[in-house]
Amino acid sequence: MVIKNKDWKWIILFLLPIALVYLAFFIYPFAFVFVSSLMKWNGISPMEFVGFGNYIKMFESTTFQISVRNNIIWAGSLGFFQVGLATIVAFLLARRPFFWKGLRTVYFVPKVVSGVAIAMLWKAIYNAEYGALNAVLTLITGKEWSLNWLGEFHTALAAVIAQEVMYIGYFMIIILAGVMSLPKSYYEAAEIDGASVWQQEILITLPVVWGIIVTAMTLAMAYGLRHFEATFLMTGGGPGHSTSTLALMMYDKIGARKLGQASTLGTILVVVGFLVIVALNNTLGRKSLTGEDQ
Amino acid sequence: MEIIKIITGKVVKWVFLLFFFAVAILPLVWLLLTSFKTEAEFISFPLRMPAAWQFQNYIDAVNVAKMHILFMNSVIIASLATLFNLMITSMAAFAISREEFFLKNSISNVIVAGVLMPIVAFMVPYLTLIRTLGLYDTRMALVLTYAAINIPISFFLIKSFMVGIPKDLEDAATIDGCSFSQRYTKVVLPLARSGLVTAGTLTFIWSWNEFIYALLLTSSSKVRTIQLGISFFTTQFRSNYPAMYAAIVLAMIPSILVYVFFHDKIISGLTAGAVKG
Repeated sequence: MVIKNKDWKWIILFLLPIALVYLAFFIYPFAFVFVSSLMKWNGISPMEFVGFGNYIKMFESTTFQISVRNNIIWAGSLGFFQVGLATIVAFLLARRPFFWKGLRTVYFVPKVVSGVAIAMLWKAIYNAEYGALNAVLTLITGKEWSLNWLGEFHTALAAVIAQEVMYIGYFMIIILAGVMSLPKSYYEAAEIDGASVWQQEILITLPVVWGIIVTAMTLAMAYGLRHFEATFLMTGGGPGHSTSTLALMMYDKIGARKLGQASTLGTILVVVGFLVIVALNNTLGRKSLTGEDQ
Repeated sequence: MEIIKIITGKVVKWVFLLFFFAVAILPLVWLLLTSFKTEAEFISFPLRMPAAWQFQNYIDAVNVAKMHILFMNSVIIASLATLFNLMITSMAAFAISREEFFLKNSISNVIVAGVLMPIVAFMVPYLTLIRTLGLYDTRMALVLTYAAINIPISFFLIKSFMVGIPKDLEDAATIDGCSFSQRYTKVVLPLARSGLVTAGTLTFIWSWNEFIYALLLTSSSKVRTIQLGISFFTTQFRSNYPAMYAAIVLAMIPSILVYVFFHDKIISGLTAGAVKG
């Protein structure tokens, strides 16, 4: 290794803190989660090698199957619905309607407020007796509503996902930044050629910002796969295990002192998350709609 | 016919824009109104305005939840995590953006790639690491963890900022006899202030709002953060739900204040990360 810089001692000194912290919190956990996923371990007594035993146990468990299904629904809902809605709103805002800056600021507010507060708030809105949702529905339909949205098997998952999907602020802002960076001259030229607003959006804006939309979808799906917080706080995975996710199951395994199995779930999260990123970038992200390589 | 088309277009557009406006703001307004109601009003008339504004709920909230302790813990943890995070990322960003050395681009790429890690998957290793360090159930556990998790994003933002600072300034400082560390503290750091503010704001808000690792790495009420505190409110406030919502409103205020003052920084920081990365 050759360091020709005369300040090499300084450089090492300046990189040392980040190197130590990064090793401890990114590299070591990455290795540790893989290794311990192959172990039977309660966190206290020594680890015992069980090969793929934990994985087999996982694949056979019903909770795991439900969790995988739910994570796929989460990833799909965030990746397609949330990003889709965010795209539409971003395209609308990019035309600078009345109050667009104010709207942009407000859309983002729920993303700044803590997820815990938002979850507690929606728990109250969905409540059977005093919830605002039932009250609003009673007012609109004239019938008495007293549905326990988070407690019923057929509504719980949809209720938790819906409140998250509606908060489009983050992806909207990313996509909006992309759309706003397009020169106005593109649209002026199209207008002279007689292109309608719809044609302009679909033939000009969409192809150009496609790369950013794919990035947003990738992020959204990654969030869907690692989802924990709102479900943990609103339903705790219930009723039954019907709203469980992989991360929630991992937390339960830690509570049950089955750290090996928890690591197995952690490993699955890391690997699947990585595969999603690679897969999306090689399919949707490979070519922009204009046919050029990204 | 053309006119009808244009009007329909406008109506559909505004229905869309206002729907998401309502979704973003109405639940929060409802929360605020609820926090001023009596218990009886809250149960019987969820959609009405409070008959008389119950400011007492806020006093009860502070007393029952010991909000001052939760607040203090969160302020200490989020501030120290932000400070620590900015220190180590700005030092590394300085060395990497201003100097030439072996493997520097690889080091930079590895650090930034950390943003792709699903941090939630590291529950077991983080718990083990914090226990091994003897930090379980301390504020330091969260300071260290929050500072570490935000390394990739802060490093990316600060480095992109430092790359743009002209090299001439530093050369002049070297001629005037500035050492390596003086060039960092006296020349580059002050010029990169805007990048530091963006990275610091994001790290602070993230740390203030964090829940999962507060739940996993601490257990006693003495070191509990405000977010973890909220999740215990349901049992603490069983007899007075409006006071619980008052406590939640109080917990939201700091991040909303930071957003009001720094929203341009936050938006530019988040878009820079995603659009360029």
